[in-house]
Amino acid sequence: MHRRTLLSLGLLLLALALPMSASQFIRAPFDQVARESALIVRGTVEQTWSAWDDAHEVIFTYANVRVSRYFGEATGPDLLVVREAGGTVGDYTQEAIGFPAIRRGEQVVLFLSKWEDGADYRIHAFNQGKYLVRDRDGMEVLFEDPVKQGEARLAPGKIARENGAEDVMTIEEFAGMVEAARAGERVERPGPRSN
Amino acid sequence: MNRKNILALSFATLFVAAMADPVMAYVLLSPRRRWPTTPVTVRVYNVGNSTISDGSGGVNATVSAIRAWGIISSSSTSSAAVRGSAPATIMLNSNGGGLCTGTCLAATLTGYYVSQAGDDRIYDADVYTNQSHQYYSSGEPGCSGEYDINGIMTHEVGHVIGIGHSNVSGATMFPSVSACNALPRSLEADDIAAKNDLY
Repeated sequence: MHRRTLLSLGLLLLALALPMSASQFIRAPFDQVARESALIVRGTVEQTWSAWDDAHEVIFTYANVRVSRYFGEATGPDLLVVREAGGTVGDYTQEAIGFPAIRRGEQVVLFLSKWEDGADYRIHAFNQGKYLVRDRDGMEVLFEDPVKQGEARLAPGKIARENGAEDVMTIEEFAGMVEAARAGERVERPGPRSN
Repeated sequence: MNRKNILALSFATLFVAAMADPVMAYVLLSPRRRWPTTPVTVRVYNVGNSTISDGSGGVNATVSAIRAWGIISSSSTSSAAVRGSAPATIMLNSNGGGLCTGTCLAATLTGYYVSQAGDDRIYDADVYTNQSHQYYSSGEPGCSGEYDINGIMTHEVGHVIGIGHSNVSGATMFPSVSACNALPRSLEADDIAAKNDLY
């Protein structure tokens, strides 16, 4: 067999082996998520803590998010409290499977909306509303968090999304997309989606 | 084909097989967890979903559908879910106090205790449904832009028993779902392998 044929065969099989990705939620267009969000922020997750609700039925995790930048026309305080379902109290853990997790020390961009009771902010549109931020050559880049609730570690076959170039965008590209979406334009993210 | 080529092809095949393994394999929730005994009791709250017109609001269809897993003891109940307390309960008429809204179709909230030895122990799991979407069941003829409650709840009960999302297209635990897609009602080999890994 010719070496080129072998190489082609290998590449074909490798392509078939790449993990597929999708969402367990209905995927909303970027512009819809941007328009529906009350706030869009770049921030740092400082303290996190978990507690049962008053009825002792749901464990919520609260996070202090130190905001360094607001996107769009809506602004707010420097420190926001974000609340997400799921967390650990004592030796009991409750998880909303597939929902976004929020962890101390994370550099994030968040789309936020209020819970139905209006008390705190939550991540809007679930995993579509959370991006991790990394510094790449002095420029901040954004990518979707690959580890959801129920996934205490990266599942087999998943790679850290910052290593994939296509679905990573710079924070200024993101800001431009938010501005366009808020202005009523239809905006979609470039590249493949992580689940 | 000479020996060198055969060796190269074998090596390439082995490499690709190793790379392909994550794709053709289920994923368990992490940390690994399971119910301590089987069958796992799952109740379906007897107030059904108002968008399902099969006479029970999808309750009867869901009770039957989730038995596909083979380790589920299911029935309807007049008791609504109490989060943090067993048994596992499916709520077709509630979004869980705002838990499952917007783009969420259905959500599973599961609780477990960390075990010092062996798998962690699932203590409770409840499933909520977003009432702002349209659903249909196996008890209705046809489908028009609705989501299949049988398949959705079979998928969610996979989470209830400790299974995560699969990358195998066509598997019940594949994470995406489209309107009028009833394929997730039937377990694929990948789903069964996941269940057999745990129980």
